[in-house]
Amino acid sequence: MTDIGQDTAARPRADFLHRFSMRDAGTLIGLVVILAVFGALVPGFFAERNLINILQQSSINACLALGMTLVIISGGIDLSVGPTAALSAVISASMLVAGVPFVLAIAAGLAIGLACGLLNGILVAHVGLQPFIVTLGTLSTYRALALIYTGGNPVLGLPPGFRAIFNGSLFGLPMSVIIVAAVALVAWVVLKKTPFGEYLLAVGGNEEAAYIAGVPIARTKIAAYMISGLLAALAAQILIGRLGAAEPILGNLWELDAIAAAAIGGASLMGGKGSVVGTILGAVILGTMRNGLTLMNVQSFYQLLATGLIILAAMLIDRVTRGRG
Amino acid sequence: MPVPRLQFESISKVFPAVRALNDVSFSVGAGEIHGLLGENGAGKSTLLRILSGVYRPTAGSVLIDGRPVTLNNPVAARAAGVAMIHQELQQVPRLSVAQNMFLGHPLTRGGVFVARREQERRAASALAAIDPSIDPAAPLGSLKVAQRQIVEIARALLDRARIVAMDEPTSSLTPSEFERLAQVIAGLARDGVAVVYVSHKLDEVFGICQRATIMRDGVVVDSVDLAKVSEKAVVAMMVGRELAQEQHRSHASGDVRLSVRGLASAAKVRDVSFGLHRGEVLGIAGLVGSGRTELLRLLAGADRASAGTIEIDGKSVKLSSPREAIAAGIGLVPEERKREGIVPLRSISSNMALASMSVFAPRGVIDHTKLKQVASEKMKRVNLRPFLLDRPIRLFSGGNQQKAIIGRWLAAGTRILLFDEPTRGIDVGAKAEIYHLIEELAAEGHSVVVVSSELPEVIRLADRVLVMRDGAVAAELDRASLSEQAIAAHAIPQTKMQAGQTHAGRSAGPQARQ
Repeated sequence: MTDIGQDTAARPRADFLHRFSMRDAGTLIGLVVILAVFGALVPGFFAERNLINILQQSSINACLALGMTLVIISGGIDLSVGPTAALSAVISASMLVAGVPFVLAIAAGLAIGLACGLLNGILVAHVGLQPFIVTLGTLSTYRALALIYTGGNPVLGLPPGFRAIFNGSLFGLPMSVIIVAAVALVAWVVLKKTPFGEYLLAVGGNEEAAYIAGVPIARTKIAAYMISGLLAALAAQILIGRLGAAEPILGNLWELDAIAAAAIGGASLMGGKGSVVGTILGAVILGTMRNGLTLMNVQSFYQLLATGLIILAAMLIDRVTRGRG
Repeated sequence: MPVPRLQFESISKVFPAVRALNDVSFSVGAGEIHGLLGENGAGKSTLLRILSGVYRPTAGSVLIDGRPVTLNNPVAARAAGVAMIHQELQQVPRLSVAQNMFLGHPLTRGGVFVARREQERRAASALAAIDPSIDPAAPLGSLKVAQRQIVEIARALLDRARIVAMDEPTSSLTPSEFERLAQVIAGLARDGVAVVYVSHKLDEVFGICQRATIMRDGVVVDSVDLAKVSEKAVVAMMVGRELAQEQHRSHASGDVRLSVRGLASAAKVRDVSFGLHRGEVLGIAGLVGSGRTELLRLLAGADRASAGTIEIDGKSVKLSSPREAIAAGIGLVPEERKREGIVPLRSISSNMALASMSVFAPRGVIDHTKLKQVASEKMKRVNLRPFLLDRPIRLFSGGNQQKAIIGRWLAAGTRILLFDEPTRGIDVGAKAEIYHLIEELAAEGHSVVVVSSELPEVIRLADRVLVMRDGAVAAELDRASLSEQAIAAHAIPQTKMQAGQTHAGRSAGPQARQ
């Protein structure tokens, strides 16, 4: 064994590199390659408008994927994000249509998300059921609630003032992108710099050891599901603001895109591993693929194929490069 | 001299940046049980992996019965007559004994259907020679660890192995189970099999092996005839220096820090009472299943007590979660480091800070400068090597992982440290360091409880020893009355005394879980 630890005290540059991990760098390279390919194939791909478009199209998935990342790091999974979003959307929307102030309607929608996450979390952490099964069950339950509540009909005619909140732009960027960027920043700080972040990584990395070390296991898991529910509800608000209507079937298969973004970004479904930066890059990769292929007039069948291959390629590269760095 | 059954000839293995084996040569005769000794990282595992076809040597060759063999993969190694019995058994608990013995190459009828009966018949005939009490149709999971080892050996017999390599086969066996296994191994040797036996337990190696090869840092130090060397000399060869025989020194003071009265749990513990003083090291000895680990888990808040009171510094405390126990100043260094101690992917710093996160984040955000400073201080204190605080803990040796866990409790300001088998799976050199550390902690005024199956360890460390039997305290021994015989006499139930006496001097039985 060699002693090479003499200079651990002050290395700011190395420290920065350390924070921007090898894995995230890999995801970034993947994104750059994909951008370069589309840039070469699609005229006008690099136009500012299109790049902003990509960000906007990625923002909803990114929002969900951030919550999903935290849940996955804790060793769980949240399949119920789509129906959670739908339930939050129809309740906010019906309140808005009934003339309830925007702030209250949005707060109620977000509270619904928190409540959905709370139920998931309690069933996982206190009752001890498996996360996959719990959220598979609530996936149907929440969807059913949204359908029953609306009788299966969309809630139409949201007030223009509400729509303006989410459709405006700031510094030339759409509001949705700004909101999700802010969420991502908070998520990054939470994961890297708070005890809760350390607890998430510890609970997912080795629950038994975390327990012996005094980590509040149940509280940590429940918080992760509640954040996931909250972010699903936030995504729902962004979406109904953009569409001006809320459908109870909104958010179908969102969970799969969110899991894909997290996995491409380096989250391990075994728990204990994941990155906010990676997840954002993963969501942008998926958004870029969709945007680029649509611009190339590729049929949606092939778009699906390309998305599938990207996920598999990311996992293969992960497998091959693991154990280094 | 006859041609040796197994011969390693100038084996070298170079990994990127590491030379794991350098010019390793020794031989094992047919019918010989050959010990392979060395500290963690000495190259034993690498050599076994070469023998079992997992790695290819960079240079050198393996000869079986005088002929060089190419062991490119595990299948080739098996075909060449090598059977490997791993420390962590590679078996499927839900499948039957016979299915496990034919795992990967089942007998079939017409190449389609598994010939279950025929498998069970052959499995039974292989088992008959060594342990007829094992039912080939029983699910493997229903067997004890010792019996599972025997199933692995029977599997080697089925494969007509000429060489059997065993990696730490007894790490979780009781003395009588070890005795049984030793007989089976001796039987293998009588049939002309060459056995390579890797173990940390020198007394076992001296007990069953004729010769041994000692490795250090990837080279062979020597191959010795065990009848002609002392254990001490072998240890010196393994470590590369003489380990000083330390004298016990007590630091206990008059103040009672922890007072336990009538403690009981639904699981194992019955009416346990004792006091623990400031600076005292209290040893807890006893057989497997005597309730030692269960007692520690109650004190650490990991399990709930069903009766009894616990006082710390005269104040009654309730310990219904590890969190509460930690707040009360109690920390557990668990037996199974991988399962209960470390978060493998996280750094040394993170693992250390896990129990005291709130201290490092007074305003909600972790002060990484402070964390790094404390980590650096505590890890220097426990002598972490290599001193790389940001490196994932899984990349460190068992001894250094253990040091980081001890550092965790130092950082959390823990005053009562509970050690469950503090040196399990830790090599000889690091063992001495852990002992020193425990003594220093006591000298600084920490109160320490050490549960151990290794009687020399208990005797080396403890100021006082509680002997547990069937969940209760059977005896309390002070230094004056402390001896391996005295502990064994109280640990073993009277009816089993006769049978147990032969092992009294060796060990009170390592502890097996489940």
